Amino acid sequence: MRYAFFEGCNIPIRIQQYSSSMRTVLEKFNVTLEKIDDFNCCGYPARNVDETAYFLPSMRNMAIAEKKQLDIFVICNCCFASLQKTKNILDTNRALRDKLNLILQKEGLTYTGKTEIKHFLTVLHDDLGVELIRSKLTLNFKDLRLAVIQGCHILRPREITRFDDAFIPQITDTLLGTLGISKLDWQGKLECCGAALAGINNDLSKKLLQEKLDGAQTAGADYIMPICSYCYLQFDTAQKELSEENNHDELLPVLLFPQLLGLCLGIEAQHLGLTENRTITTANVDQLLALLAPPEEDKKKRKKKAVTA
Amino acid sequence: MNFNLLLSFSVIVCLLGLAFQFSKWFTSGISPRPLPSLSARVTNGIKAITTTFFSGKLINVIQSFFVDILFQKRIFTKSVLRWTTHTLIFTGFVLLFLFHALSDTITASLFSDFQPTLNPYLFLRNLFGFMVITGLALAVYRRISGKKQRLKSATADWAALILIAAIMFSGVLLEASKMSSYSTYQRMIEDYSSFSDDTEEKALEAFWVKENGLVSPHFKELPSSELVAAGREINADSCLDCHASNKTAFLSYSLASVMGPILGSGDGSSQVKIFYALHIFACLAFLCWLPFSKMFHMVSAPINLVIKNVTQDQYSGRSNSLNSQMIGLSACTHCGSCSTECSSNMFYEYFDNDFILPSEKVQYLKKIAAKQIISPEVIKKLQEGLYVCTSCDRCTTVCPSGINLKELFINARYSLLQEGPPETALLSHFSFPLALAQNFVDDHLMALKKVTDIFKSTFTTLADKTEPLTIGHDLYQANNSYSSCYSCQRCTNICPVVRSYDNPAEQLGLLPHQIMYSLGIGDLNLALSSQMIWNCSTCYLCQEHCPNNVELCDIFYGLKNKAIQTIKAGANS
Repeated sequence: MRYAFFEGCNIPIRIQQYSSSMRTVLEKFNVTLEKIDDFNCCGYPARNVDETAYFLPSMRNMAIAEKKQLDIFVICNCCFASLQKTKNILDTNRALRDKLNLILQKEGLTYTGKTEIKHFLTVLHDDLGVELIRSKLTLNFKDLRLAVIQGCHILRPREITRFDDAFIPQITDTLLGTLGISKLDWQGKLECCGAALAGINNDLSKKLLQEKLDGAQTAGADYIMPICSYCYLQFDTAQKELSEENNHDELLPVLLFPQLLGLCLGIEAQHLGLTENRTITTANVDQLLALLAPPEEDKKKRKKKAVTA
Repeated sequence: MNFNLLLSFSVIVCLLGLAFQFSKWFTSGISPRPLPSLSARVTNGIKAITTTFFSGKLINVIQSFFVDILFQKRIFTKSVLRWTTHTLIFTGFVLLFLFHALSDTITASLFSDFQPTLNPYLFLRNLFGFMVITGLALAVYRRISGKKQRLKSATADWAALILIAAIMFSGVLLEASKMSSYSTYQRMIEDYSSFSDDTEEKALEAFWVKENGLVSPHFKELPSSELVAAGREINADSCLDCHASNKTAFLSYSLASVMGPILGSGDGSSQVKIFYALHIFACLAFLCWLPFSKMFHMVSAPINLVIKNVTQDQYSGRSNSLNSQMIGLSACTHCGSCSTECSSNMFYEYFDNDFILPSEKVQYLKKIAAKQIISPEVIKKLQEGLYVCTSCDRCTTVCPSGINLKELFINARYSLLQEGPPETALLSHFSFPLALAQNFVDDHLMALKKVTDIFKSTFTTLADKTEPLTIGHDLYQANNSYSSCYSCQRCTNICPVVRSYDNPAEQLGLLPHQIMYSLGIGDLNLALSSQMIWNCSTCYLCQEHCPNNVELCDIFYGLKNKAIQTIKAGANS
């Protein structure tokens, strides 16, 4: 499998470990993520200013992928939503498509809508499949109390993102389940991290972040795992600042999905950039490693298998 | 005119120009704060240099000299073709400058047997020239064939290429015309020869006509091989010690053999004079032009690259941050690498504002640093250009001169926001990375207040809330899903923003369902006056939970666009 890897603007400069661990993990499944230098911003930052300016960048990215005959593989939720939204608009509004194609044609690009946008969770869950992933795992987590924050822009609006059930999302929990991490219900799991308000209304942005931190900690989470790069930056960078303001509150350490998957695939922690997460200490890494054990074949499942066979 | 006079004049112009440029490194700067004094900047600069030399950082300087300056790794990693082009020009030009232009000082003192007419010097001069000319040809090819989108440096680039080409071609033509020139040959004979008879003299001349590209009035036809053979012996005995075969000067010799009759017509002396004058004139023009043009990067780019390698863009205090900023600004060649890779490239295409491209910002920031007067319209566009930036830092990563564009733009952004008009783009997600980086926090808040105030004043006037609500005719047409709203208030009840306020109706102006209601009664300005739209966290919970599929969050985005358009139209009217 081969995808055009859309890293967006934040990941290559602020969360390199997200893309590097993703590559390392996907190599194990023979998935190639092609780096495309020509990709530009997804358009998301301009959405408040001008909606058409928001569509054009994503359109160009899709036209580039289309030229290479590749589907786009996205990590960041906001990039994902921008690409999906643009695709949705351009596939219904032909006049806009034609108008914006005139701009792209200046550099020999045309959007016709052939490229699909795939969130990495969809690739893992649907394209590779849970069984394949399970078959490659050498280790499983035992008792890792992990709060997942889905991020708004992969779930909603569901007609646009077409990712998962917007009210009771399953994909992330299923994938974590294969790693031995059981679902943790907590107040705020499907809500906003506050990133969209940072720099516009900082107090509100921090309030929303604090609300999520409190929710996860009250539910007994030891770690939090954001999917979206904006959520990640809120939890990993803004949380530190927030904690300094609040008499050095204890930090809720932040993990990324490919890092957890990588550990279960037997990849060494230093190849997954764990300590590049600002909230992760070496003690956290040791703790995570101590929670890993070879997967036990579930007896019930074995029985089930025998019955179905 | 006297050569020495011209040379002295050019050197003085060049030195004064360099001094002027160096002084700017320590006196100018772009920052929202007052600049430190000249003495503080110089002292801190010297301190930083001394610390570097007496610490383990010296190794970085040495490494940088080889990797960044001589090898030019930053260009190599981006494009091998571009690297080949630049390296050919750079290496050839520098070697010609050191060993040909400064031959009396450098080459003569390094090699005791130095004679410009001997090998390897004769050959190497041609080789270096060949390198530069090949580089120039590649540069022209790159500009004609692979013209990239959003590359904007054409004029200054061509000027530099033409001037270097003028130096190179006049040099090769000068050497070729000397080879062909009979008067030059005669002068050599007069100065160095002692023939026993006329036959010897004729034989040698025959040999030079046949083998060294000389055009002689005595040999209209090619001389006989016996005569040439005799000449060869004399040449070996008398000339070879001081003058190698012209064939080794392969560039000039080829030119002389093709164009000999033209280059050496008459006795060739006037051609030699013309090309000599041209060559000297081009070289001296280059010298005068250097400090004031993109060619100043020959001085500033290496310094900037070393600074980057040593500091890794982390400076010891504001003085050195500003010193580096100014060195960086002077190292920009307007090559456009940053703009071709700029992540905001499509915003540039859409908003039609050149300043969204980093390379174009830099050209104007140079003017701002030099305190040139710039019209308010240009400032406004520049301010928008500085703000419509995704903070992906790609420009800083790709810049071949290693300019810390990221920090330059942060300083410029807040410096302009301080004086400039309210910037509407502040109210966008472009602000997210800025909030995260915590640079100039207070300045950001002040600029934010300025822009929020203008929204408040504009729309509170337009929407008079003291009057009772009436049905209006100002319909919002971009998304009419609000017409299905039956005010169940589910949106407001689920909104994480509403629940974050003690008194949301007062603090946010209107609540989500009230905004839908305002639109429903045709009072668009009322909806636009609400602070709620700017405080929407875009989480889409309202839209997802609406039983009637009202696309609230999408409508909020639309209202924000509309409000910004209204403000911009007001500012321009």
